[in-house]
Amino acid sequence: MEQSFLHTKKILLVDDEPELCKLVIDILSDDGFSNIIDAGTAQTGLNFARQEKPDLAILDVMLPDGDGFSLMKKLRTFTDIPIIFLTAKDEAADKLAGLGLGADDYVVKPFLPQELLLRVHAVLRRCYKADSPLLELEGCTIDFSRAEVNKNGIIVTLTAKEHTLLETLSRNEGRIVSIDALCEALWGDNPFGYENSLNAHIRRIREKIETDPSKPVSLITIKGLGYKLNARK
Amino acid sequence: MKVFSKYISKHLLSFIRLISSLVVLNIAAFAFTFYSAVSKNFGSTSPQNMLKEVAAASSSNGITDEAERMLITNFLWAMYLNTEGSCNWTVNLPEEIPTEYSIQDIAIFSRGYLKDYPVFVWSDENGLLVIGYPQNSYMKITSNYYPIDTVRKIPLFFLGILVFDLLVLFLAYSRSKAKISKNTEPIISSIATLSEGKSINLSVSGELSEIADSINKASNIISRQNTARANWISGVSHDIRTPLSMIMGYADRIVNDKNASNQIKEQAAVISRQSIKIKDLVQDLNLVSKLEYEMQPLQKENTRLSKLLRSYAIDLINSGLSESYSLEVNISPDSENSMIECDTKLITRAVNNLVQNSIHSNPKGCIITLSLQITENRLLLTVQDNGIGISAEKLEELKNKPHYMESIDDRLDLRHGLGLLLVRQIIEAHHGTIDVESRLHEGYKTNIYFSSNPRP
Repeated sequence: MEQSFLHTKKILLVDDEPELCKLVIDILSDDGFSNIIDAGTAQTGLNFARQEKPDLAILDVMLPDGDGFSLMKKLRTFTDIPIIFLTAKDEAADKLAGLGLGADDYVVKPFLPQELLLRVHAVLRRCYKADSPLLELEGCTIDFSRAEVNKNGIIVTLTAKEHTLLETLSRNEGRIVSIDALCEALWGDNPFGYENSLNAHIRRIREKIETDPSKPVSLITIKGLGYKLNARK
Repeated sequence: MKVFSKYISKHLLSFIRLISSLVVLNIAAFAFTFYSAVSKNFGSTSPQNMLKEVAAASSSNGITDEAERMLITNFLWAMYLNTEGSCNWTVNLPEEIPTEYSIQDIAIFSRGYLKDYPVFVWSDENGLLVIGYPQNSYMKITSNYYPIDTVRKIPLFFLGILVFDLLVLFLAYSRSKAKISKNTEPIISSIATLSEGKSINLSVSGELSEIADSINKASNIISRQNTARANWISGVSHDIRTPLSMIMGYADRIVNDKNASNQIKEQAAVISRQSIKIKDLVQDLNLVSKLEYEMQPLQKENTRLSKLLRSYAIDLINSGLSESYSLEVNISPDSENSMIECDTKLITRAVNNLVQNSIHSNPKGCIITLSLQITENRLLLTVQDNGIGISAEKLEELKNKPHYMESIDDRLDLRHGLGLLLVRQIIEAHHGTIDVESRLHEGYKTNIYFSSNPRP
């Protein structure tokens, strides 16, 4: 994974199953996360959250001294950090989605290591912008703080829509983003019939960032699905 | 005609049999009751007989002693009137009976009564023999004349009465039958529902309420058992999840461990693959049992299927779909903005099960196509692969054989996973229909039809 700045984030893990805790820590540290605190009960989890100020909390739904939902409510009284739930029940997942408790995501047990990592990365990316506003592409460098593209020393400015589009794509760098998600980022909920406008924006962005806009290497079309932004390798 | 024929059932036949036997019984009872009267009428003391005997034993001048005794022992009286209307002789004549008669008197009493005594007459060349019976012993019909037309119409009249009676009886029969079926209708339909394993709540008043109560009790027992079974499955699948997470997690870590030998990695890969199978099974089992016992509330919302398919496909590709598989999404322009009311999680699950089925059936890789189009005003979602497909016999089996979850057949065929059963259940819960097309080596295709409300 490219986003090394994410690996500096501090993660709080609350789970009463020591073996599962160890597994999650192993998975996360193998991926590059170095700052992980784990707690076995809701109370210690709450204390750690106050003292250590983590950037992300992963909570088990079933805890020996109360459930993860009430722990989240307590956490929410003093922090807005993203929260991912680990749940052994489909129903709990439904409840999370249905009640809109404000959890950022949930992982249903049993899960594969990649699945957990994917969610953690996605949530962190969504909540924390890159510390460096610069994105290095094959043919240029994008400076999001100034909304500028530097292509071989020539500076081109980005429009607001182009900026939003590129930012959405860069948050999911290396992964496909659907047409629907891009349209929603640009025009809000339920955008019908904006696909042609989206195509036009993509075309203009390519002219600004690609060395050869007719043969794009950074901003790639995935036919029928969406687009993908590739950073410089 | 169908409604009418409902009433001409075997019950009607037995009803008709009952009526005919009733008629036969009535005739028999009639015959028995009137036997004595008939025998009296035609016995030795009947007026006809008596007249004959007395006439033979008498003349205009007198009567034999023997005949006179016979009359007296039978409490009868007699007189002989000559052509002038006066008595030649009398036997046992009551005091109030006169002995002189005019033509008018004779004309009147000869057909009926004389001072309330029923009288019978016998005429010979010299006069008229009159025999009187005790008062109230015989009833004489004094006005027995009918127009011949009326008499001729009697058979028709009887036929009419018969038809009318039958009609009334049939009407009464069909009304009572309709009433019974109206009362039993809810009971019968709820028993039918019950036999499908679904729970009911019947409210019937009147004589049948006891039956309704029993049926409700049976329904409660069934639904309690269903709930217990679903909860049991849910509990087991819940308890399996945490240990399975660890098996999957550590097996996967061994697979990616740089220090492990290739042999160990391969073995760990087998553990990993098989645990994923258990994971799928556990998830499917739980949902299947919930849908089966209608314990899974559908969280329906207006959804664009095109968006759902794209976001599913992207999630699958982003989570690392193996290189040997390629996933394509074809959305026809007219279906792009079609909305349906659906539970997005369940529909995604159904699509995923079909895609995973294609992946598992084609370990060497294949092209999987998800497409959406509108045919005959219905939204058609297709999941298709170009893989090995299945033979015609297998396809037939897949379509017609009940799944082992739904079968009580002992020869369970456990080879089919729960995945496809779950797909069917999810689609049925959304009032959609599903069909499968496949030929050996020509891919596998699942068509799912939804009734849509296309929106611009």
